[in-house]
Amino acid sequence: MTDPWWVRVARSATATAMMSIALFVLAIVYTSTGGSARELLIKELLINLMLVLGLQVFMGNTGILSFGHLAFAQVAAYAVAICAIPIATKSQQLPDLPFGLGDVHLGSLTATLVGVLVALALGAIVGIAVARTGGLAAAMITLAVLFVVDQVVKNWQELTKGAGGLSGVPILKGTLWLWLAAVLAMFVAHWFGETRAGRFAVATREDEIAAPSLGIGMFGARLTAWTVSIAVIGLAGSLRVQTIGSTNPRQYTLDAAVLVLAMLVVGGMRTVTGAVVGTVVITVGNETFRQLGDPQRLDIERFPDLFLGAALLLVMLLRPGGLLGDIELARWLRRVTRRSRPVTGRVAPERSAPLVADDIEVRFGGFTALDGAGLRVQPGEVVGLIGPNGAGKTTLFNVVTGLVESRSGVVRLGDHDLSRSRPHDVARAGLARTFQNLRLFANLSVRENVTIAALAAGRYRRGEPPVDVDGLIAAAGLTELSDRQARTLDYGNQRRLELARAAALSPEFLLLDEPTSGMSDDESAAMVVQVRTTAASVGAGVLVIDHDLAFITRISDHVVVLSEGVVIAEGTPDEVRRSPAVATAYLGSGA
Amino acid sequence: MTTLLQNLVDGLGRGSTYALLALGISLIFGVMHLVNFAHAELITVGAYVAYGLSTRDVNWWVLVVAIVVSSVAASIAIERVAFRWVRDASPFTMLLTSFAIERLSHALWQVLVSPKKKSFPGPGWAFDTWTIGSVRFEIMDLLTIAVTVGVLVLTALVFRRTLFGIAVRGAAEDFDAARLMGVRANRVIAGAFAYAGFLAGVAAVMILMRSPTAEPTLGADWLLKAVVAAIIGGLGSFSGAVIGGLALGLAEVFLRSYLPDGTPQRLTDAFVFSLIALLFIVRPAGLFRVATAERV
Amino acid sequence: MLEVDGLTTRYGAITALHAVSLRVDVGEIVALVGPNGAGKTTLLNTVAGLLRPAGGTVRLDGDDVTGRDPAALVRAGAALVPERRRIFRDLTVEENLRLAGITASKPDRRRRLDEVRDLFGVLAQRWSTSAGYLSGGEAQQLAVARALMSDPRLLLLDEPTLGLAPTLVDMIFDLLEQLRAQGRTVLVVEQSARRALQLADRGYVLRTGRVVAEGAGADLAERADLFAAFVGIGE
Repeated sequence: MTDPWWVRVARSATATAMMSIALFVLAIVYTSTGGSARELLIKELLINLMLVLGLQVFMGNTGILSFGHLAFAQVAAYAVAICAIPIATKSQQLPDLPFGLGDVHLGSLTATLVGVLVALALGAIVGIAVARTGGLAAAMITLAVLFVVDQVVKNWQELTKGAGGLSGVPILKGTLWLWLAAVLAMFVAHWFGETRAGRFAVATREDEIAAPSLGIGMFGARLTAWTVSIAVIGLAGSLRVQTIGSTNPRQYTLDAAVLVLAMLVVGGMRTVTGAVVGTVVITVGNETFRQLGDPQRLDIERFPDLFLGAALLLVMLLRPGGLLGDIELARWLRRVTRRSRPVTGRVAPERSAPLVADDIEVRFGGFTALDGAGLRVQPGEVVGLIGPNGAGKTTLFNVVTGLVESRSGVVRLGDHDLSRSRPHDVARAGLARTFQNLRLFANLSVRENVTIAALAAGRYRRGEPPVDVDGLIAAAGLTELSDRQARTLDYGNQRRLELARAAALSPEFLLLDEPTSGMSDDESAAMVVQVRTTAASVGAGVLVIDHDLAFITRISDHVVVLSEGVVIAEGTPDEVRRSPAVATAYLGSGA
Repeated sequence: MTTLLQNLVDGLGRGSTYALLALGISLIFGVMHLVNFAHAELITVGAYVAYGLSTRDVNWWVLVVAIVVSSVAASIAIERVAFRWVRDASPFTMLLTSFAIERLSHALWQVLVSPKKKSFPGPGWAFDTWTIGSVRFEIMDLLTIAVTVGVLVLTALVFRRTLFGIAVRGAAEDFDAARLMGVRANRVIAGAFAYAGFLAGVAAVMILMRSPTAEPTLGADWLLKAVVAAIIGGLGSFSGAVIGGLALGLAEVFLRSYLPDGTPQRLTDAFVFSLIALLFIVRPAGLFRVATAERV
Repeated sequence: MLEVDGLTTRYGAITALHAVSLRVDVGEIVALVGPNGAGKTTLLNTVAGLLRPAGGTVRLDGDDVTGRDPAALVRAGAALVPERRRIFRDLTVEENLRLAGITASKPDRRRRLDEVRDLFGVLAQRWSTSAGYLSGGEAQQLAVARALMSDPRLLLLDEPTLGLAPTLVDMIFDLLEQLRAQGRTVLVVEQSARRALQLADRGYVLRTGRVVAEGAGADLAERADLFAAFVGIGE
């Protein structure tokens, strides 16, 4: 299914090495002509790189905007400064240092470690809030954090010496440590993308409703990404203060945060490659425009700011995904080094638990969507759910899968009561679904879509046999397209992909919401085959909503007819088709 | 008691300015789902226009008109030139576009005029005070409150009585349904930006009367609080924006006066932001929900 | 009055309408029926200008209005009563109606407000109430009244009886008759397929983006295989 851990580490290392070497070569060429000013630029570039990568690990993988990351870099920087400044110098700047820190003096390595740990400690608290809320509110929380930290630093004079900042931090000799740290940051960013946690975070970014439907918990995925990103940015802050030799709040303002944001976004925040490219482009661009704006040349003050604003604006208007979009070096490596490892001897598991929904009542305000509806699906059975528009079919699905709360009634999988369960718990119990409006992970490839579900199965559905990702893709007829981004597929293929992804959860039941919607008659016929094959290979029963009665007739063992929130008929497909009550439900009764 | 009253007026004065700015931000969000981080740049525009005109020795009333008019014009221009192109993009893209414009604005003023502050004469009576009994009020505070009340009444009238106002409210609720009624998309959005520009212009007048300086980062100082106030109130809600702004102003003033003596003023900002963070954790959608349902 | 020729509309990767053709003659009621997802709403939205077709033409009284935006369609004399009504819940009944009259001159608007007030007694009683407090039936009447504010020659209605109790369904069908009596042309998408076809002069059955049956309304309503055509059970 996925490659063993050492393969993934090796891949991250290779991608990192390739980027590092490219950067190194460029740096050598650049600094060979020209003096220490150029060396300073390289140092600035490396620090920027770490800051941006720290932000990328979180923003790129969760899609949540963060203004506050720089606050944690600042926290780390001050922690390092307080620990690393020689005691004599320190007592001059911070005579009233509390907590006995006046006697602390650590070497640079230990101090760096302390910096990262302090950043993590603070980051954990904020991370819990951010991971819980998500969206614009989370962005606002991070903005608030940026300001709070800024104000505390400026005002807690005993600890920080206020707005003046601290100086006298021992400077690291040469650029070796900086390079090592930058390479480490690149490696961590790459490696996180290869981990299961990273893949889960990406899933939450792509679709907030589909991710939990595969068993992925939004909170845990976001918090993990946040924590790793804080570690990297803590490292960045720690190294920055030991490169410049001093730290002060002016380095960590909202302006600075927007600069880092711009570097990330211009290149493309979803990929490490994009982050690196963006950083180089903006850093070099800034320097170029600063020189151009020199009094001896064009004599324009603050030319770089103009460049930054214009660059950001142009990218947003013309290429909002960033210059590189989704082009990722590591992904290309993955494709090139992939070895097919077919899963053999996989036996579909035996299932014994039926899916039961009983006497479900749902009201939306004054409107009764479901009025005591219920149904039962035996293991391995295929049940069709039909009914006119507005009958409540999708609402019933939403109740079963935990997206909508019912006023009364019971949902059970065997003995397991799922009535009040949240969507990710329902998925983990063994119910996988597809959606009426298609919820694929649009920017990920076909293979990646299915693999994430398989990873979720591996994590949350222990005891299931390993998932045959290639087999599921083949059953969906998508083998040739497995590296294509999901949003570039034509509609029929997208529907088939959604089915394959749901099946990769190795569920006990598949709930399919209008899988043939928009398909031609031929495609519907092919869908019958895919549903049967796929369900059989994972041993799943099927509950399917659809309006194409030909499809329903061919695929169902049993059909349930819903109309205005109530079950009005059920039986074999033929019985239902001939029932006048059903015809009336669809066509109305006439005048 | 005296302190209470003075704080109240002080807080409402500050809050009024936040309210006007927040209202503009909420208005734009309503029709476009864009959180406009460049909104406060309109204050900077007004400031430089005032500075430019002040060298010609004109009456302050002329400056008032010029500030408001230039703010409206700039708002319409920004929509036409930049935001129109990202109208259907993701909220993230729109947000970053507004950031880019904010950056560009800072940079342009620095390049075209100067990075340094430029002062110009304020109206003579700006720092006068008025004493009733033992209570002393700043005229500026009273004026700000009075003007804001007037503008809010005007806003209520415009949005309840005029067809333009009704069209904007309808479009904010359901843009496509408004188009089906015959409302022209471009006009209603441009109109919203224009009115938001008017609100920002009035806010700018109040700010500049008290502190007549033009500098590139003038907008930035007000931006954050305004955005936060709009979001606290719940984006898209008019009353929410006003209440959010007033609450923020009052919170700032009262916190400052009740924190122990010697606590630096800047630390009050820290408290305010901490409270705000707490609010977002507890009620992520803001105080006044503008509900949107997502179909699965 | 309305001529739709070879209309094809896409939603991202889906082709929702495949070269659909239909026509509505002056003074007719034409019913458009079909299962969910057939493309009926897509068709109305394309005609009304909310969606841009990928191919084909829409002609209103001989004028090519393909791809024009909704405001232009309203001015050309076509008004849509959208699916689920989409009334402005934050606005009062009066404000909803005034807004819908935005394309008219002030005196025309005032006159039509009075006309609508007379026609819909229930709305007159709720004139200053927030539309969000209206019941389903009242909301549907408001939606139709709004469309009438632009004095359209062609009315497009998308599932006007959706979610309404049987007595209100009767009321809606009476309303359609009244509109025809006023000399307006109506294209209505309806859930209650049989009844709508019985009322209509002509009808079309749409399935997966294609017309699968057409004819005189009464004929279609009596067809034995109507259900089969509807849900696509092959022979």
